[in-house]
Amino acid sequence: MQRATAPYILILPSFLLAAAIILWPLKEIVSLSLHDVNRFGMIRDFIGLEHFRVLFADPDFIAATWRTLVWTAAVVLGTLIVSVPIALILNEDFYGRGIARILIMLPWAISLTMTAIVWRWALNGESGMLNSALRGLGIIDTNIQWLAEASTAFPMQILIGILVSVPFTVTIFLGGLSSVPDDLYEAAATEGAGSWDQFRLITLPLLRPFINIAFVLNTIYVFNSFPIIWATTQGGPANSTDILVTYLYKVGFRIGRLGEAAAVSLIMFAILLIFTIIYVRLAMREAKA
Amino acid sequence: MSKKLKRSILFWLVLSPIVVVILFPYAVMTISSLKSATEVLNPTWWPSELRWQNFPEMWRTSGIAEALANSLYVSALSTVLTILVSIPAAYALSRYQFVGRDAFRQFLLVSQMLSPIVLVIGLFRLVAGAGMIDSLNVLVIIYTAFNIAFCVWMLQSYFSTIPRDLEEAAWMEGASRWRTLVAVFLPLAVPAMVVTAIFTFINAWNEFVIALTMLRTEGTYTLPIRVFSLVAGRYTVDWHYVMAAAFVASVPVAILFAWLQRYLVRGLSIGAVK
Repeated sequence: MQRATAPYILILPSFLLAAAIILWPLKEIVSLSLHDVNRFGMIRDFIGLEHFRVLFADPDFIAATWRTLVWTAAVVLGTLIVSVPIALILNEDFYGRGIARILIMLPWAISLTMTAIVWRWALNGESGMLNSALRGLGIIDTNIQWLAEASTAFPMQILIGILVSVPFTVTIFLGGLSSVPDDLYEAAATEGAGSWDQFRLITLPLLRPFINIAFVLNTIYVFNSFPIIWATTQGGPANSTDILVTYLYKVGFRIGRLGEAAAVSLIMFAILLIFTIIYVRLAMREAKA
Repeated sequence: MSKKLKRSILFWLVLSPIVVVILFPYAVMTISSLKSATEVLNPTWWPSELRWQNFPEMWRTSGIAEALANSLYVSALSTVLTILVSIPAAYALSRYQFVGRDAFRQFLLVSQMLSPIVLVIGLFRLVAGAGMIDSLNVLVIIYTAFNIAFCVWMLQSYFSTIPRDLEEAAWMEGASRWRTLVAVFLPLAVPAMVVTAIFTFINAWNEFVIALTMLRTEGTYTLPIRVFSLVAGRYTVDWHYVMAAAFVASVPVAILFAWLQRYLVRGLSIGAVK
C-alpha cells in the first residue's frame, strides 16, 4: 500500500504548484475573454465571442498577427541557417575552440532585456556606435535613424532575435553531432566520398531529428519573445513593430481592455498548442527510432 | 604549418563575422559605461579618459544596489524552491511505475510550452485579487512554477542514468528507502542538481515580463526592470549610467556561465534528447 501511494506523494508538490500557476490563470483568461469587462477588471455580462469579433475587425491586431508570423519565421530560419555551420565548426578540434564556444554562447547568459537595451543605444541615430562603425567602414555616408521607422527597426530586431537564439540552437546541434560515430565518416572516406557528400549523406540525415526539435522549440520561444521588441521600440513607432505579445501587453495593461487581451492570449494559446502537439509527435518519433 | 593550425585559422576566419556581431553590443556597453556624460553622446570607439567613477556614481543614483539585492533574493529563493520540489517528482518518474506517469510527463511538457506572457493577464488578476502586487515572494512562486517542468525533465533523465544496483545493494544491507536516497542516491545526483540550479537561477535572474507586470513600486524592482526603467519613458537618458548598470547586471552571470558552460552544454544535450 505504502509503495502505491509513494510516487503520488512525491509528484504532488510540483504538480500542485505548476497547476495552480498555470491552470488557474488559464481559467481566468477564458472567463475574461467571454465576458464584458470594465477597465478595473470587473466582470459583467456574458457576451460570447464579441471580444474575438472586435479583435478580428482591428487592423492593428491583423497586422500584428502577420508580423508575428514574419518575425517567427525569419528568426527561426535565420537561426537554423547560421547555427548549422557554427555547430559543425565547434564540433571540430582546433586552437581556441574553448574560447570560441564561450563567445558564441555569451548572449545566452546575458538577459535579453540588457542585450536589447544596449542595442537600443547602439542603434541610436546620432550617438549610436553602429552608425559610426558603418561610416568608418565606408558602408554608409549619412546616419540612419534605425529605430525611427519599422522598415529599419524590424529587420534589426530580427537580427537581434537571431543572435540570441543561436547559442541554444548550437547547443542542441552539438549534442546531436557528438552522437554521430566517427567510423561512419572513415567508411565514407574510403568509399571516396568528398566532404560535401559526407555532410549531405551522413551529417545532415543524422542531424535531422535535432534540427526538427530545435525548429519547434525555437518557434515557441521566438513566438513568445517579448523583451527584444519591448525594450527597443515598445512596438512603435505607431504600433508598426508590434507582434502579438507586445500587442497583448498594450491592450491589456496600457489601454486596459482586459477582455480583448484575454482573447489574444487564448488565440496565442491555441497556436502554441498546435506547436506543442507537433513537438510531442516529433519527440515521440525520436523516442521510438 | 601544421594541419591543425591551418584548420584553426580557417575556422576562426569563418567564425569571425558572427563573433564580431555578437560582441558588438557588449563592447558598446563596456565603452559607453566608461565615457563622461558629454562624451557618451559622441560615438567614438575610445573615450578620451576612462571614467571609472561612473560606476560608484551610478551605484548611488540609480537604485541598482536595491535591485541587485531583490534579484539575488528572488533568484536564489526560486532556485532552492524549484530544486526542492523537482527532486521528488523526478525521483518518482525515474524509479516508480505508476498510473498517471505518462499523463504527468505530458502535463510537464505542456506547462513548459506555455510562457508566462500568454498567461500574464490571468496571473495579474490572480495576484491583484489577492492584494499581492509588489510582493517579491509572489515572483518566487511564479518563477518556481514555470521552471518546474524543465528541472523535473532534466533531473529525471539524469536520475535514469544512475544504476539501480547501488540502491539495491544499500537496501540489502538493511538501509531504509529514505536513508538510501539521502546517503547513496542524492550524492550521485549532485552534478545534475547543480546544472538545473544554475539554469533556474539564470532564468529567474533574467526574467522580464512577469516582473514588469507584478512590480509597481521602485523599491521592489529586480535588475532588468530597474535598468529598463532608466531608459523607458524618460526625456533624457543618462546612457553612460545605463550602460554601467547593464554591465553590473550582466557581467557576474556571464562569468558564472562561461565558467560552467561546458557542464551546461553536456547536461542540456542529455536532457534535450533522452
